[in-house]
Amino acid sequence: MTAWNLRPIASALWRNRTGAMLVAFQIAIGLAVLVNAVYVVKQRVDKINRPNGMDVENIFVIASAGFAKDFDYETSWREDLATIRGLPGVKAASLVSNIPLSGGGSSSGFMAQPGEINPETAVDGNTFDIDEQGVAALGVTLAAGRAFEAHEILPATDAFDTAPQAIITKPVAKELFPPNGDALGKTYYDALNKPITVVGVIENMHGSWVGWDKLDHVMLFPRIKSGPNGVYMVRTEPGRREAIMRTVEERLGTSNPGRLLRWVRPLTYFEKQSYLSDRNMAIFLVSVTSALLAITALGIFGLATFNVSTRIRQIGTRRAVGARRLDIVRHFLVENWMVTTAGVVAGCGVALAIGYWLSVQYELPRLDLYYLVGGALGIWLIGLFAALQPARRASAISPAVATRTV
Amino acid sequence: MFGYYLQLAIRNLRRNPGLTALMIGAVALGIAVCVMTLTLYRAMSGNPIWWKNDVLFAVTLDGWDPKQPANEDKPELPPWQLTYRDAMAVMESDIPKHKVIMHKAVGVLSLENQSVKPERALTRVTTSDFFAVFDVPFQYGGSWAPEADRGPEPLIVLSKKMNDKVFGGANSVGRGIRWEDREFRIVGVLDHWLPLPIFYDVNNGSLEEPEDVYIPFGWNAAMELNSAGNTNGWKPEDIKTYQEFINSESIWIQMWVELPDDASRQRFQAFIDNYVIRQKQAGRFQRPLNNRLTKVDQWLIDNDVVENDDRVLVGLAFAFLAVCLLNTVGLLLAKFLNNAAITGIRRALGASRRQVFFQHLVEVGVISSIGAVVGLVLGGLMLMGLRALYTLDPTDGGGTQALAHVDVTSVVTALALALFATVAAGLYPAWRIGRIPPAVYLKAQ
Repeated sequence: MTAWNLRPIASALWRNRTGAMLVAFQIAIGLAVLVNAVYVVKQRVDKINRPNGMDVENIFVIASAGFAKDFDYETSWREDLATIRGLPGVKAASLVSNIPLSGGGSSSGFMAQPGEINPETAVDGNTFDIDEQGVAALGVTLAAGRAFEAHEILPATDAFDTAPQAIITKPVAKELFPPNGDALGKTYYDALNKPITVVGVIENMHGSWVGWDKLDHVMLFPRIKSGPNGVYMVRTEPGRREAIMRTVEERLGTSNPGRLLRWVRPLTYFEKQSYLSDRNMAIFLVSVTSALLAITALGIFGLATFNVSTRIRQIGTRRAVGARRLDIVRHFLVENWMVTTAGVVAGCGVALAIGYWLSVQYELPRLDLYYLVGGALGIWLIGLFAALQPARRASAISPAVATRTV
Repeated sequence: MFGYYLQLAIRNLRRNPGLTALMIGAVALGIAVCVMTLTLYRAMSGNPIWWKNDVLFAVTLDGWDPKQPANEDKPELPPWQLTYRDAMAVMESDIPKHKVIMHKAVGVLSLENQSVKPERALTRVTTSDFFAVFDVPFQYGGSWAPEADRGPEPLIVLSKKMNDKVFGGANSVGRGIRWEDREFRIVGVLDHWLPLPIFYDVNNGSLEEPEDVYIPFGWNAAMELNSAGNTNGWKPEDIKTYQEFINSESIWIQMWVELPDDASRQRFQAFIDNYVIRQKQAGRFQRPLNNRLTKVDQWLIDNDVVENDDRVLVGLAFAFLAVCLLNTVGLLLAKFLNNAAITGIRRALGASRRQVFFQHLVEVGVISSIGAVVGLVLGGLMLMGLRALYTLDPTDGGGTQALAHVDVTSVVTALALALFATVAAGLYPAWRIGRIPPAVYLKAQ
C-alpha cells in the first residue's frame, strides 16, 4: 500500500495526537448515541403507528355534565342523541361509558367456565358500555356476528355491571375459546359468575390504555352510560367532522341550562394525548442527536482545518516536489478516516454497552447489530464530508509557498 | 493585569471570528440542551417538597387479593391507595403531627347570580390538615377547622387561579359559591402553588396542576361523591349502594402523615400493623403483613413517576455536554497553538508560564461567559418549543402550563455545571500552551 502512504500519514497524526484523540472521543459518543437513539425512535414510531381498528379520523366525542337539582339525565341524553343523529353527515352516534385511547377506562377479569375467579387463568377485558349505534359509531369491522339491537340495551346503573350479551375483539375470543377463537354464540362468565353470550367478534379495536400490553382486549356491553354526565361518540362522513363538531357545540351548548357542555373534541385529540410522551421522546431524541452529530462534524472540520493551517509550508513543499492536488486531498481524507475509524471502533463498544442498559431498562430486545453497521457507515460519511472542504483548500495551496521564508 | 488579559482575550477572539463563533456556539448549545433537559427532568421527577422528605410519609396497607399482588411489576408493594373504611380507621390515630385523607372529585362551580359561567372544577375532598401537611401557602384566610370534616360544614377553599377567574383576585373570604347543587362559604384562597410533579396523588399523571377547589372530607359520604381519580378493586363484590361502596374493598383514598421523628414513626408503624392484625383476625387482609410509610422520594420511584424515559434524557444531556466540551477543548487547543508564535515572543520577553496560563484562562472565561448567555437564551427558546410539543389544546391547563414555569434551581444548577465544565475544559489547552519552548518559534522568524 505504498501508493497510499499510510505510514507517514499515521506518524504525522501521532505527532499531534491530542486533537485527534479528542475528535475520536466525540465520534465514539456520537456513534453510540446515534445508534441507540435510532433504535429507540424506531420502537416509538412503530408503537404510534399501530392500527387501532377504529375510524379515528372521522370520530368526535362530546362530554356533557348535568349539575342542576332538577336535571333529568334520561330526557337529556334522549334529546341530545336525537339532535345529533338528525344532523346531515352523521353516520352514527352512541353513548359510551369510556373513551377508547383516552387513558381512562375500566377493566375486569372474565372466565371461560363458571366458578371462583382465578387471577392465573382469568382473561382480562377492557369494558365499554355502548348502545345500538355504538359499533357503527366506533367504525370497527365485525369479523363475525352482529351489532347490538335496540331492545338489548340495558338502562344505566351506577355500579359496575356486565350484560347478558357482549361483542368482543379477536384476541379476547382466542384467549377465552382456544385455539381458534370460535366465539360466536358461546357463553363466558364475569367475576360474579353472570353468563355473557358473544353476539359479535371485532377484527381489531384498541381500548383505553395505549401502554397496556392487552390494549386490544376489548369487550363491548349493551348498556346506557351512567349519569348525570353524558359522553357521546359521533362518527361522521369523511371530511365533515369539523363542521359537524361546530354545529353540535352550538346546538347542545344552549339546549339545556341545567347542564354544562364540557367539551367537544375529536377522537384524534385523545389518541395524540395518549401517544404524546412517545411522540415527544422521538422528536426530542431526533433533534438532540442531530445537534450532537452536527457538533461532532464541526469538531472533525475544526481538526482538519487546523491540521491544514499548521502545515501550509509542508504541503507547498510536497506540491513543489511533484505531489498532485489529488495526493494532497487524499492525504487529509485518509488522515481523517483514521481518526474517524478509531472513534467508530471505540464507539461500537460504547453503543453496545448503552444498548444493553436500555434493553434492561425498557425490557426491549437487545440492540440489533444492523443498526451498529448502519451507524458506523453514517459516521464515516459524515466524517468524509466534514473533512472535504479543508482537504480541498489544502490542495489549492501553491507550490510557491515552499520557496517563501515565512 | 486582569484588565490587560481581558483586552488581549477580546483581541484574540476577534482575530478568527469564525473559530470564535464555532466555540461559543458549541458551549451555548451544550448549556442550552442541559438547561432544557434538567428543567424537564426536575419537572417530571424532582422532589417538590424536599424540605419535608424526612417527615412526610404516604400510608399504604396491603389488603389486596391474597392470590396476587396489587402491582405485578412490583409485587413487594402494597396497593397505592386505601379503602374508605381503612383510611377512616387509621385516621383515628393521634400519633402523627399532621394527617390527611383525601380523594379527587369533580364538581360544577357556579355563582347564585350566574354572573360567571358555570365551570367544572377538579376538587380535592380532604380533611383540614391538607394545607399544613403539604405547606400550601394561603393568599387570604386559611383552612377549615377539623370539626368541619365531620359535620360536614359547607366550607370551601379556592385556588388562586379560580379566585382570580371568579372574583377577579379580590379577597373573597366569607362570600358564597355554589359547588354542584349546594351553597358553600369561602374560608380561604390559596397563593400560587405548583408542586411538580404532583406527588400527593399520582393516579392521573404527574404533570397535572393541583385542584382548584378544596372541600371538607365529610362531603363524600354526605353527597355520595365518587373519586375522579382511580378506583380499583380486586374482590368480586356486588356493590349497589354508596354505603356498600364505602364499605367495600375498593381502594380510592390517599393518606399522608407527618411524623416529626423516628420515635413517632415507629409508634405509628406499630399502630397500623396492630390495626391490620386485628383486621386479619376478622378475616380481611389475607396477604402477608406489609404496611408501609413511604417518603416522597421513594414514593415517586415506587409509582413510576420517575420514568425510564427521564433517566435516558438525563443520560443524553450529559453525553451531549461531553461532546460539546471535547469539542471546545479541541478548538481551544487549535486556536492557542495557532497563536503559538506570539506566545513564544511573550515568553522570550519574560512572561512566566503562570502568566501565560492565566492569560489563556481569561480567554477561556470570556468564551464560556458569552456561551453561557447565548446558551441561556437558546435554552429558553427550547423550553418554549418543548411546551409547544406538550400542548394539545391551548385552552386546557394541566401539564402544559406546568412546563411554562421555568425552574430557577435547575437553570442555576445547569448553568453552574456548564460554566465550571467549560473552564475545566480550558485548563489543559491553557497549560499546554505555556509549555511551549519559546526558542522554536523565535527560530522560525
